[in-house]
Amino acid sequence: MSHFYIRCPNCGPRACSEFSYNGEVRPLADPAASEAAEIDRLWLRRNANGLQRERWFHAAGCRRFVTITRDTRTNIIVAQPGEPAGDVATHA
Amino acid sequence: MAGIDFEGTDVPVQQGDTIAAALYRSGTRIFSRSFKYHRPRGLYCVSGDCPNCLVTVDGEVNVRACECAARAGQKVTRQNAWPSADRDALAVIDKLHWALPVGFYYKAGIKPKFAWPMVEPMIRKMAGLGFVDHHDAPRHLERVNWHPDVLVVGAGVAGLEAALAAAGAGSTVMLIDETTPGARVASGPTRAAIDRLTAAVAAVPAITTSWNTPATGLFEGPLLIAVSGDETFHIHPQAIVLACGGREIHRVFTDNDLPGVMLARGAARLAGVHGVRPGARAVVWAEQPEALEHIAALTAAGVEVVAVVAAEGLDTSAVTCEVIRGEVTAAKGRKRVSAIVAAGRTIACDLLAVGSEIQPNEHLVRLAYDLPVVVAGDAAGHGLTLDDAMASGRAAGERAAAGPELYAVSPATPRTCGANGYVCLCEDVSVKDLEVAIDEGFESAELLKRYTTVTMGPCQGRVCADQLRAVAARKNPDLHRVANATTLRPPVRPITLEQAIAGAPHHMERHTALTAKHLSIGGTMMWAGPWKRVEAYGDVQAEYRAVRERVGLIDVGTLGKFLVAGPDATEFLERIYPMRVADLEAGRLRYGLLLEEGGVIIDDGTVCALGDGRYYLTVTTTGAERLESWMGDWAEAWGHDVYVVNQTASLGALNVAGPQARALLQKLSDDPLDRESFPYIRHRQITVAGVECLAMRLGFVGELAYELHFPASQSAKLWDAIIAAGAEWDIRPFGLMAQRLLRLEKGHIIIAQDTDFETTPWKVGMQWAVKLDKDDFVGKAALERHLKRDDRELLVPWTMGAGTACPPEGATVTMNGNLAGRVTSAWHSPTLGHPIGLAWVKRAYAAAGSSITVGGSPATVFSGHAFYDPEGEKLRA
Ligand SMILES: [Zn+2]
Repeated sequence: MSHFYIRCPNCGPRACSEFSYNGEVRPLADPAASEAAEIDRLWLRRNANGLQRERWFHAAGCRRFVTITRDTRTNIIVAQPGEPAGDVATHA
Repeated sequence: MAGIDFEGTDVPVQQGDTIAAALYRSGTRIFSRSFKYHRPRGLYCVSGDCPNCLVTVDGEVNVRACECAARAGQKVTRQNAWPSADRDALAVIDKLHWALPVGFYYKAGIKPKFAWPMVEPMIRKMAGLGFVDHHDAPRHLERVNWHPDVLVVGAGVAGLEAALAAAGAGSTVMLIDETTPGARVASGPTRAAIDRLTAAVAAVPAITTSWNTPATGLFEGPLLIAVSGDETFHIHPQAIVLACGGREIHRVFTDNDLPGVMLARGAARLAGVHGVRPGARAVVWAEQPEALEHIAALTAAGVEVVAVVAAEGLDTSAVTCEVIRGEVTAAKGRKRVSAIVAAGRTIACDLLAVGSEIQPNEHLVRLAYDLPVVVAGDAAGHGLTLDDAMASGRAAGERAAAGPELYAVSPATPRTCGANGYVCLCEDVSVKDLEVAIDEGFESAELLKRYTTVTMGPCQGRVCADQLRAVAARKNPDLHRVANATTLRPPVRPITLEQAIAGAPHHMERHTALTAKHLSIGGTMMWAGPWKRVEAYGDVQAEYRAVRERVGLIDVGTLGKFLVAGPDATEFLERIYPMRVADLEAGRLRYGLLLEEGGVIIDDGTVCALGDGRYYLTVTTTGAERLESWMGDWAEAWGHDVYVVNQTASLGALNVAGPQARALLQKLSDDPLDRESFPYIRHRQITVAGVECLAMRLGFVGELAYELHFPASQSAKLWDAIIAAGAEWDIRPFGLMAQRLLRLEKGHIIIAQDTDFETTPWKVGMQWAVKLDKDDFVGKAALERHLKRDDRELLVPWTMGAGTACPPEGATVTMNGNLAGRVTSAWHSPTLGHPIGLAWVKRAYAAAGSSITVGGSPATVFSGHAFYDPEGEKLRA
């Protein structure tokens, strides 16, 4: 059982249980990338042990998406929606 | 019965009794039989920590008799014994220790091999505590959220002071306790302080109290979960004060588990709180000053304290009976204590009150790592005086109100352990068992836990964890890590499954506004995602004929419906859909596949251009929820300024289909519906029977058809009007079964029935729905890669000769006896007079005209797309 708050830009700080997790943010397709790199991008996840850029859907609220940066070890959110992600890697 | 029904005996109950107190007063000494060896066990901690008093109360298993309030009429039975706990036939196991060595389930009965199937059922039958009545319907318990500034756990002197201090500093406070304040404390200065502080707390409006509310877990957030009767509390404070007290440490010596060996606080609770005489002749083992204070409570209850076994250096000047310096090394007796051995002397007694050192109740504290938590009172350090504990509580409350630092845990070093006796009362693990396991190589506390199951029983380590570490440290004094505390996980207190799933989502069953109507005219319902839809109204063939020959009506209100608008709506949809959207003029609509990034089909539906960059989308019944978040995710990823409004529930939808559909609707509408004014694949805003509708001309079932979308509140009105107007053509409502047959005759696929998680448009012959010359869309790169490969399997339509039985959906496709594919859809076509279907077929056999074997019968791969009306003249009518 994990619990933390996500600051929804529409609804304010709300319990994470109101959101559904949509996984880590992956880079958009790069037309110049090799096929192998593109397949990695599509099918492999970083599963970060640390800071992760990720998206949540406010399912029990305004039903809009928010993007946050969370430390997966502590569930401490280091960048709330709208805040810059800093130098968090989104993909290995 | 006037009192408790205890295994058929009427046991009187006094005011304030727990079940344990009432039973003990009436003479019960054996409260349970131990888990493995069926040794007799009696009251030990009398504080809800140990497993000894677990009983079944009114069918609920493993209830702590020492915590549960006694009530007249309660049915109480003891567990893990046959025929009774007093004369347990399985106690013979206690003489067979050699047959059940430590880790016996890894060893015993495994060789010879044939023995295990006989041994396993016996072990299974004997394992577990209590019998659950499987016919009991589970209750649905609710979850309640609380949001105080400061949460205080434990209403002893420290917790009460902390609550007052935090409230005094301006915080809202919640104070919880697993019992009621003072419930375990006999009269004296501590009890007086608790009573005074409890009254003070009750007078402060900013403090919310909840008694009989044990905490079960502490999580990041912070979130503390507690159970309170039929509710599970999720408490979300800014800061937490843990003032959960301490307990006397479990002491291990020969036969330390005999009934009559009791922790001193427990004996004092029976005597001083419940007025029950815990024994006639007692020895008090005192390792700290508080233990000597209990002598007064015992004496007052009529116990003769014959001797005190005192730790070296303890001040015993006030003790009037004999004092023996040293430790207790053994208890003697068969079913209960008859004597103890200390410093080489044997002293006759029927009660040993163990006043050992106070150990902090560390469970929640150890879960508090990196959380805003302050620890106060005995939970922070043992041996506090009353004044110290109160001061500690005040300081903690003030710190919590100010927003404390994140708490880091430093585990205590273990105490010493005796040479013989039971470390673990839950699972019957003795010192000897642990030493054998260490010799077998399981040397650290963490490995010993897994191998011997010590700390894994109902006490969750409250009794045994410290002594486990002490044994490990003694065997390997040089290996520091062997004595590390074992990992602790919630729940820190056993809870029922009902409590664990409290507040779990209710199962969703969605209905359109027409469900009652469907049921009233004989509709049978089936699941479609979260929806209940009509399967049929009794006669699928008649429903089919009505659509093909006259006119039919189907409730399609479950379709996913979206309004997409905003400055970037057109660009957004151009990237969402693999077909063109930007060139759609207002009033036009287009069929659209939806693909994921791997090029796999995830849904399909239509896009209507409403003009001014606004669009109305439909998707499948099961796809609506998923696609709403899927589209929102892409909008966020691309930074598009676009609104995706899910109108699935607010709009109803009906499809009027059949050659007479136009004639019927024209009776109800003044808007022009003729072929020129309202052609195929167009949409119009029309009024039908006074209801404003967005009407689309679509061809899913292959006839002239109008799909009407309108406010859901108008559903019944519109339905009734259409049925009435259609009477002259004998209109029939049709269900999903007829619809599936009708669309199969048109060769249309159903997503997730005919497609799977690898299905690209190429594999199902839908290249026409993908425009690879578009800039970009989701799945484009993957589809371009797919173009370079040959697909192994293709979805193809097939036909069979008249008179052939229709194979079931899921039937295999074979070629020369080898597996060559599988059927996804199959029906006997009433119009064509033979079976038709769709099947995945290996590429080599998928060419039009190929002969294949479907479900054992000869079939031919069909050369076109639609079996019925291949030119689409009927739907364009
Ligand atoms: Zn929101």
